[in-house]
Amino acid sequence: MSTQIQEEADEPTETEAETAPAERQSPGDRRRAEKRTASDQAVGSEPVGRADDDTFRLKVFRYDPEVEGKMEPRFDDFYVPREKGMTVLDALIYARDHYDTTLTFRHSCRQAVCGSDAFFVNGRQRLGCQTQISDLEAPIRVEPLPHQDVVKDLVVDMEHFYDQMHAVEPFFQEDDLPSGDLEEQRQSRENREKIKMSTRCIWCGACMSSCNIAAGDNEYLGPAAINKAYRFAMDDREGDDLKQHRLNIMDQEHGVWRCQTQFSCTNVCPKDIPLTEHIQELKREAVKQNLKFW
Amino acid sequence: MAERYSSFSSGSLPWFLQRVTAAFLVVVLAFHFFLLHFVNHASEVTFAQTTARMEEWGYLLTMVLFLLTATFHGVNGVYAALLNQGLTGTKKRVVQVVLAVAALALAAQGTYVALVMSGVM
Amino acid sequence: MSQSYNRGLIEDFGRWREFTAGMWAWILHKFTGWVLIGYLFTHIAVLSTALSGANAYTNTLQGLESLLLVRVMEVGLLAVAVFHILNGVRLLFVDLGVGLEAQDKSFYASLVVTAVIVLASIPTFLEGAF
Repeated sequence: MSTQIQEEADEPTETEAETAPAERQSPGDRRRAEKRTASDQAVGSEPVGRADDDTFRLKVFRYDPEVEGKMEPRFDDFYVPREKGMTVLDALIYARDHYDTTLTFRHSCRQAVCGSDAFFVNGRQRLGCQTQISDLEAPIRVEPLPHQDVVKDLVVDMEHFYDQMHAVEPFFQEDDLPSGDLEEQRQSRENREKIKMSTRCIWCGACMSSCNIAAGDNEYLGPAAINKAYRFAMDDREGDDLKQHRLNIMDQEHGVWRCQTQFSCTNVCPKDIPLTEHIQELKREAVKQNLKFW
Repeated sequence: MAERYSSFSSGSLPWFLQRVTAAFLVVVLAFHFFLLHFVNHASEVTFAQTTARMEEWGYLLTMVLFLLTATFHGVNGVYAALLNQGLTGTKKRVVQVVLAVAALALAAQGTYVALVMSGVM
Repeated sequence: MSQSYNRGLIEDFGRWREFTAGMWAWILHKFTGWVLIGYLFTHIAVLSTALSGANAYTNTLQGLESLLLVRVMEVGLLAVAVFHILNGVRLLFVDLGVGLEAQDKSFYASLVVTAVIVLASIPTFLEGAF
């Protein structure tokens, strides 16, 4: 009975093999055990919890170029106790606090506002704090965002994403301010409604990571940056000259034209921004602008 | 910052033309398949039949336009697919030249064949 | 970031099981596009036999059409063309900003309609091939 349970836990976790009866060890088991001992020495022991009815298996991508046993990327398994309302981020925090303090991931507000905990969960870009464990099928596989360089464990290098965001001048500009000293610069309700969804971006990078074109073409601005441009280009308070300036940035080979309407970004956006729709509208605006000058 | 990413070589014209040709091709390609596989059977096509069709000015003009738009649409589509892979610099230049030559050769040969079939040449 | 680890292409086509409708539509549209432009070159090359005279043209075409392989490939070409047309119409609507919420359903619809048209055309296409 006990050996059976152990075997079940054995296969996925690979850390309890030392306690398995020696006569049942195959050469493969021994090799794996040796490999494990080597990595254990490097990163410290890794308790993984118990596999039973109240826990679920969390597979986490591990990689650290500075630690010997972690230079080869691998998956670690943790058994995390199920709790009502538990999110993927909660599970990661549990695993880090109880099993392995070296487990590294970004998180801050825990309420889908800061945008720092976008991960690749069960094959899809999601916010850790926004994804309920109960909505996922175990084992839950957590990986860093694809198409970005991994710095350590689940932490990816966001520098390129930020470069693209800054390239579209993601800030309000104006041609002429209202003359009076205390006069406000008002926006119509309709116009506010038009740009409402585009203002929701939290710079998490999920869309960029899901985009097949952004993966191939490093210069492509990407959905988040184009959405940011949309937010200001469509804002009536910015004058016509500025709108034209913003469309000029979009109307480049690596601007809106690289979008191939795969809808990947729209599918993964944790704030439900209709990214593809916004990109398409900018394409039409750019064409209209060019037709005017013919 | 924008100039960091590329010169302002707009991509709006190729994009727009790709859509315009698409709308035309949807209709003509369907017509072409219908005419040569259902009204006439491809296996029974003879030179006499072909020339009879091509002698009609409207048909000849449609077919030549079909060829030109299809060539543009196809070659531009291939170019876009390669751009998606992050084509830059000399490689990009070479691809542009090769595709342009291939497109011109295809269009010229096709038009020539069509004119011969119609008896103009 | 010389030290950072690049995971290569594992997260791309290795994960085809996780692709969504829009992604499949894109892949199929690209694939059928390549086939069609490739065919256009072949098509013009074959029709160029008209330059060598009436008999060369008629014999070449009927010779090719008498091969079963060519007939089967024509059915494949029909499938490719019909899908490219239908998905192309879908993309034109997407470009016009119409029906973006239903883009996945319109993709499935274009697949189904393609299948129906191709299946219904097989008798006509293979007539007399055996």
